[in-house]
Amino acid sequence: MSLAVGAVLVADAGLAFHGWSMATAAAVSAACALVGSFLVVRRMSLLGDAIAHAVLPGIAVAVLAGGRLGGPLVLVGAVAAGLVTVWLTRALHAAVGLAEDAGAGVVFTSLFALGVVIVTLCAAQIDLDPQCVLFGILELAAFDLVSLGPLLGSSVGPVLVPRAFLTASAVLGLVTATLLGTWRLQVFTAFDPAAARAAGLPVAALTILLLGTTAVATVAAFEAVGAVLVVAMLVVPAATAELLVHRMPHVAALAVALAMVAACLGWAAAWWLNTSAAGMMAVVLGGFYGLAVALAPGEGFVARAATRLGLAWRVAREDWLARIWRAGEEAGGAGEVTRPRPRSLLERAVAGWLEWTGVVVLHRGMVRLSAPGVREAETVVRSHRLWEAWLGRHAELPLDHLHPPAEWLEHHLGAAMRERIEAEMAVGEADPHGREIPPESGARP
Amino acid sequence: MTAAAAPILEFHDVTVAYGRRPVLWNIDLAIAEPCLFGVIGPNGAGKSTLLKAALGLVPVVGGYVRYFGAPLAGVRGRVGYVPQRETVDWDFPVSVMDVVLMGTYGRLGWLRRPGRRERELARRCLDRVGLGDLAERQIGRLSGGQQQRVFLARALAQEADLYLFDEPLAGVDVRSQEHIFQVLAAIRDEGKLVVVVHHDLRTAAEWFDRVALIDMRLVATGPTADVLTPDNLRRTYAGRVELLEELGRAVAERGRTP
Amino acid sequence: MMIDLGTSAAWTPLVAAAGPAGLAMTYNTLVVLAGVAAVGFAAGVAGTLALLRRRPLVGDAAAHATLLGVGTAFLLTGRRDLPTLLAGALVSAVAAVGVLVLLRRIARTRDDAATAIVIGVSFGAGLAVVAGITARGLPGSAGLEQFLLGHTAALTARDALLLAAASLGVVVLVAVALKEAVLVAFDAAFAAASGWPVGLIDAALVSLVALMVVVGLPAAGAVLVTALVVIPPVAARQWTNRVGPMLLLAGLFGLAAAVAGVLLSTLRPGLATGPLVVLAAAAICFVSFVVAPERGWLARRLGEADRRRRWTRGRVLGECFALCGDDAATGFERALVIDRAAGDSGSLRRDAGRAWHQLVREGVLERATLRAGGRDFGQESVARGAAVRGAMPQAGRDRWRLSSAGLVQARERRRRIGAWRDVLDAAVENGRDALTLDLPAPEEVLEGVVLAPLAAAWQSAPRAAEDTR
Repeated sequence: MSLAVGAVLVADAGLAFHGWSMATAAAVSAACALVGSFLVVRRMSLLGDAIAHAVLPGIAVAVLAGGRLGGPLVLVGAVAAGLVTVWLTRALHAAVGLAEDAGAGVVFTSLFALGVVIVTLCAAQIDLDPQCVLFGILELAAFDLVSLGPLLGSSVGPVLVPRAFLTASAVLGLVTATLLGTWRLQVFTAFDPAAARAAGLPVAALTILLLGTTAVATVAAFEAVGAVLVVAMLVVPAATAELLVHRMPHVAALAVALAMVAACLGWAAAWWLNTSAAGMMAVVLGGFYGLAVALAPGEGFVARAATRLGLAWRVAREDWLARIWRAGEEAGGAGEVTRPRPRSLLERAVAGWLEWTGVVVLHRGMVRLSAPGVREAETVVRSHRLWEAWLGRHAELPLDHLHPPAEWLEHHLGAAMRERIEAEMAVGEADPHGREIPPESGARP
Repeated sequence: MTAAAAPILEFHDVTVAYGRRPVLWNIDLAIAEPCLFGVIGPNGAGKSTLLKAALGLVPVVGGYVRYFGAPLAGVRGRVGYVPQRETVDWDFPVSVMDVVLMGTYGRLGWLRRPGRRERELARRCLDRVGLGDLAERQIGRLSGGQQQRVFLARALAQEADLYLFDEPLAGVDVRSQEHIFQVLAAIRDEGKLVVVVHHDLRTAAEWFDRVALIDMRLVATGPTADVLTPDNLRRTYAGRVELLEELGRAVAERGRTP
Repeated sequence: MMIDLGTSAAWTPLVAAAGPAGLAMTYNTLVVLAGVAAVGFAAGVAGTLALLRRRPLVGDAAAHATLLGVGTAFLLTGRRDLPTLLAGALVSAVAAVGVLVLLRRIARTRDDAATAIVIGVSFGAGLAVVAGITARGLPGSAGLEQFLLGHTAALTARDALLLAAASLGVVVLVAVALKEAVLVAFDAAFAAASGWPVGLIDAALVSLVALMVVVGLPAAGAVLVTALVVIPPVAARQWTNRVGPMLLLAGLFGLAAAVAGVLLSTLRPGLATGPLVVLAAAAICFVSFVVAPERGWLARRLGEADRRRRWTRGRVLGECFALCGDDAATGFERALVIDRAAGDSGSLRRDAGRAWHQLVREGVLERATLRAGGRDFGQESVARGAAVRGAMPQAGRDRWRLSSAGLVQARERRRRIGAWRDVLDAAVENGRDALTLDLPAPEEVLEGVVLAPLAAAWQSAPRAAEDTR
């Protein structure tokens, strides 16, 4: 079998086919996303990647020993292989001082290579194809049906369900039960292993449990998406969720939801584009992650650019108003002064906006600040001069060193901070240059 | 005729930020004469940051730093630097001699290999710090004091006119500390400025000619005895440092303080 | 790699043979092998720099992204020749690394998660492209999958020369700029302060690794090529403590692994080369872990056994000395010495017995065959002509004595132990100040005793005794 699965697909792919395929994919993704949430938070993504690769020899040996793909023997083999990986990595670190990532790299690539060789050499005895090991056979899952009829009672007819779906559901159930059962302990350990250990929690056992659960989830994902993409299903949903929400239960829940949606979308996209379902699921997950990076409220790329722009605008606005105010002060308190010249495109835009909204009144080449404009300007100048006074008092700086920092920081001082600074000064005290400090005006910017 | 010579090292109204968050405010400091100069202050006060900013390792957002009147770019060859010890992987497969030779790379420039002149220089520097016998030893096999002395030798190999040391005595036993201080004093006696970030007030009082007391900003500077008075040390900065921290946060978040 | 049975022309692709019978190496075969060898060597060299820079897996993201580049290159150009496909792979590899760097800067995601994301998503995208191509049965698309696990069968001699040239370029670059690379890897802060463009050098390093990953694709495949970059340097580190030899060894190990893997894959048609190359590298690595001098497992176990032997020997000698009270003419019984030296422990008693035999063989201990005036004498005393008037043979008694040489040894041992005790006492008093001299390792000097449990700690942290934090 090769990558040309798409071309093989049947003509009469109906709702049942799509439904079962998506259901299987969703179940697999959900299990991986749930486990992956803990892996990501505990900075164990690399170990997750390692286990995803290294379970292959375990599975291969188990199948050679007579296990069925999806059966309990294979699960055991996978867990054993996963734990061997972790143990070997730690042992290498202890014995030869090999850094954890280098050790993991050595161990899991070797084990994976071993698995591929076993699978290739024993192709006759094993129902695994090396290429399918790499990217799964989700497309064929819907054809491998088992009957649930006998389980549900003899009166019910044969209920045909894909075996892969059964495996995936069983694994999902197992993973959920394990993690929910130890939820509090796992969360505590995830956020602060040192404190957990100090509090007497069996951190090592919990970690082994987590890694074992990873191996189990990996096995289910194996059939659907193959070894390499399991890592995408483990890590990407959780990393995406982390960018959007911040409490662990929410992260896990969101990760699972995203994973399931991505699985369905990925399947649909693969069908539509006639390509590998596993690949498209990974691409969709990547798309979600990219969207989160860009659009996350507050920290997303877009949000940060907006904040940056917002600050630049505010700074330009306040500088412009303060400039007019200072010009007025120098002219002895005149109400109208010559319109200053904008020094940049941004200043020009700001000046235009201020005039348009009436904060600054333009009349025949002269400008005057409206009442709100005066208040805003005075606040800025007040901040500036208060900071200069503070620096002058506490920082033993020469006079000419005071203006540049104040120029910068005047935009960041809020009302409460200004009050604190003023409280340190004498009543009616001037700034270090001898200029009067404008009083606090009623309106807070 | 009597134009004042530029100070050896000058911080002019320097504000330093990590990310966008200012951690050092308006440092104004000029050192005109070669001496053993200590930079001291509480933990987290920004002492190491000051050094890193001087070397361009951390961005300076206000003011400037000048060496002999010029910006760093033109005079890098004249400035020697010894970073904190923790940054290094001691299992790295290099010998003591290899590390000291690294001090000569700056002068060699791209692609040229160290030759006989560099090796002899390295040997002399090793002898000066008392590590002459250990040239071929892998660096992981040294004691803490010996490791620090390797870095000292590397700095000496830079043949600089001014040296910046970041906590050279952290985690070093008393005997080695004394030895290291003697080497530093010898460098000063050659007419070079030695600036040392140091954590211990007691030894600072003994060894440094001049100090600067840093706590997010310059509190005091001058001859050691004048600066390390109980008054200066007892002055409560808590309120002022808090204010600076709040302001720093506001700047980092591009907003205003409350 | 297929073995050719007799075709000649230098630039034709290899033709599949009808089985592994016969090993006639043609020019083609040799060139391909040489190319693969060069790739393996250069991969080891590049990987060493990455390992020293503490970023051994930097090539992983690049490697998984190559599939996307290969598929896209084919899609865009319709050509399947190696240079085109590898060019595409290089573009996507570099792009993947670029995305990784970008993510570090603009997203809150941690490093390890970001790497895993780039690996998974780029591989998935690559898979989608290649699967789409194969599903549509585009002409010439068969065989793109071979980039997954490596397949040198279709390599032409020209391809192999291209790979060899790229590899040579990498090695030359590393040789030329070695000091800069090691400087930055060892102490980036110092390098930056000295004015070196650390960011640029790091970028160059990552690019080299990405290039080697791409060049290694035919030999090892996208999924496993990072192993060729990671494993040989790890193995090489076990054998040496200097950078130059480490680079050379890593290159040789990589070369051996690549060649071995390719040769092994000829044993069965259909075996991908990648897994075999990795297994060969892993085997070399495993052997290195076990056999390497000093750092290897065997060396350390043997060292322990050696130390244990010396420790036991010292104890036995010490007990003999104690029992004879520094007098060569006072004898003692073997059983008593063993009891006191080893107590009840079976294994210790066995060790003590062996030590005893050793001491006898060396002439440190000898039988006290004569007894006179309550004192014991042996052959040595007779040979020396010591007055043994009235000496009676000690038949039936198992008495032994220290020879004069043995006495000298025992006295020296006692002196050393006493000296060390004084040193340690003084150290405790002076807050360990006194231990700043460059002393030899205690276990080289003393014979174990109570310091044995500490010896293991010393091995890994020889400077721990001096840090006074």
